[in-house]
Amino acid sequence: MMTYIVFILSVIFVIGFVGFSSKPSPIYGGLVLIVSGGVGCGIIMNFGGSFLGLMVFLIYLGGMLVVFGYTTAMATEQYPEVWVSNATVMGVFLLGLLMEVMLVLYVLKSEEVGVVFKFSSVGDWAIYDIGNSGVFSEEIMGVAALYSYGAWVVVVTGWSLLVGVLVILEVTRGD
Amino acid sequence: MNPLILTIILMTVFLGTMIVMASSHWLMIWIGFEMNLLAIIPILMKKYNPRAMEASTKYFLTQATASMLLMMAIIINLMHSGQWTITKVFNPTASIIMTLALAMKLGLTPFHFWVPEVTQGISLTSGLILLTWQKLAPMSILYQISPSINLNILLTMAVLSILVGGWGGLNQTQLRKIMAYSSIAHMGWMAAILVYNPTLTMLNMLIYIMMTLTMFMLFIHSSSTTTLSLSHTWNKAPLITTLILITLLSMGGLPPLSGFMPKWMIIQELTKNSSIILPTLMAIMALLNLYFYMRLTYSTSLTMFPSTNNMKMKWQFETKQITLLPPLIIASSLLLPLTPMLSILD
Repeated sequence: MMTYIVFILSVIFVIGFVGFSSKPSPIYGGLVLIVSGGVGCGIIMNFGGSFLGLMVFLIYLGGMLVVFGYTTAMATEQYPEVWVSNATVMGVFLLGLLMEVMLVLYVLKSEEVGVVFKFSSVGDWAIYDIGNSGVFSEEIMGVAALYSYGAWVVVVTGWSLLVGVLVILEVTRGD
Repeated sequence: MNPLILTIILMTVFLGTMIVMASSHWLMIWIGFEMNLLAIIPILMKKYNPRAMEASTKYFLTQATASMLLMMAIIINLMHSGQWTITKVFNPTASIIMTLALAMKLGLTPFHFWVPEVTQGISLTSGLILLTWQKLAPMSILYQISPSINLNILLTMAVLSILVGGWGGLNQTQLRKIMAYSSIAHMGWMAAILVYNPTLTMLNMLIYIMMTLTMFMLFIHSSSTTTLSLSHTWNKAPLITTLILITLLSMGGLPPLSGFMPKWMIIQELTKNSSIILPTLMAIMALLNLYFYMRLTYSTSLTMFPSTNNMKMKWQFETKQITLLPPLIIASSLLLPLTPMLSILD
């Protein structure tokens, strides 16, 4: 199972996304997002990115989702929608699950999948060795490069976040 | 809006487009598009009525979908070529998806449905920014990937846009919707010549922006958003009425005004590439555009439009100040003799 762990985790990832895309109440969407975030962290860590996985847990789940959970709890209604309470939500969820199951069977049965790009059936998801990494871990080098060569990217993303907050406050201000 | 916040937001709209136009890394281009989209939403929602909110939501949804398609095309390109530079799109699938995403951002048919509705729901100044500044960023990316665009898809979208822009504008009396359909048709002309000679796309974009800027400035000056309201300007500012006549005829592509220059160059370039039926069809369809511009000039400058007697004096709030109108008028009507200067371009 460990050779195909990335494949299994990515299937759970997609099922989680289907779970909140079928639009139950945001509380349950946040719950599924926690699961998806944890599974996504597992996928990143299997490629050697332990630092980034920690970032996902700390910042995304522990910062952003906590704030999201509190604000949704303040704004929620008396009987929030679950997956089984509404026929539409249930139908969309089951449809998404069905498509994912069919895709997984297609990947498992056939040797090569060539929908938009080619990848061989399950072999491409297995982790053997990640190329000639040499002495340094590529992931930490990437983070270091972000703050040295990619300083402009940090400036632009920081500015975008600031403007994002300003825009949201401006839009929800009303009259 | 708080002036400081307005400054920051307008600066971010400007910065977003500049990042798109100046980047060589696909991810930065995507970031520029998203920054542009995020910052223009409060500008579209300047008035807090439900119409403006609905228009902003529609704009956000279509542009976000287009950005997602663009991201998918970028990732497919990355998978097949292993690099992020913007010079050439190596995979036909990625190229097609990218063309469709950028066409959604521009408002080319069959992705044109948001343009009239969004333009109608927002104020005149916001509509001005939407129809001129927001076209710069996607067009610059189309210019840069133009060697690898699938010709069939782009020409189909271009011809259909000219058709839809012409026919869609025929039944309109609201000025913002007329400008929206005119924008769709002009984007069609620009897309048609993109693969053959991208310099003419840029020329058409330049002249289109000047003419649309002029038209919107004249509308803002007379505070008119309907044909009926525009037809009362003869009473208050007769010179504005004359300028509306000249600019509308220039938008319709009539010589000797400068709106003729891009159409002439595009038709010449298309015939040089041995396609005869296509430019004939495009020129005939441009007549539909000309028809509803002529109808506007007829009701505004050439006749006294029927209205009740006590409406003969135009009623409006105090006249808004318009910026740069004299240079814009000159640029949008008298540039045709400068056509030989095109030889200094590529």
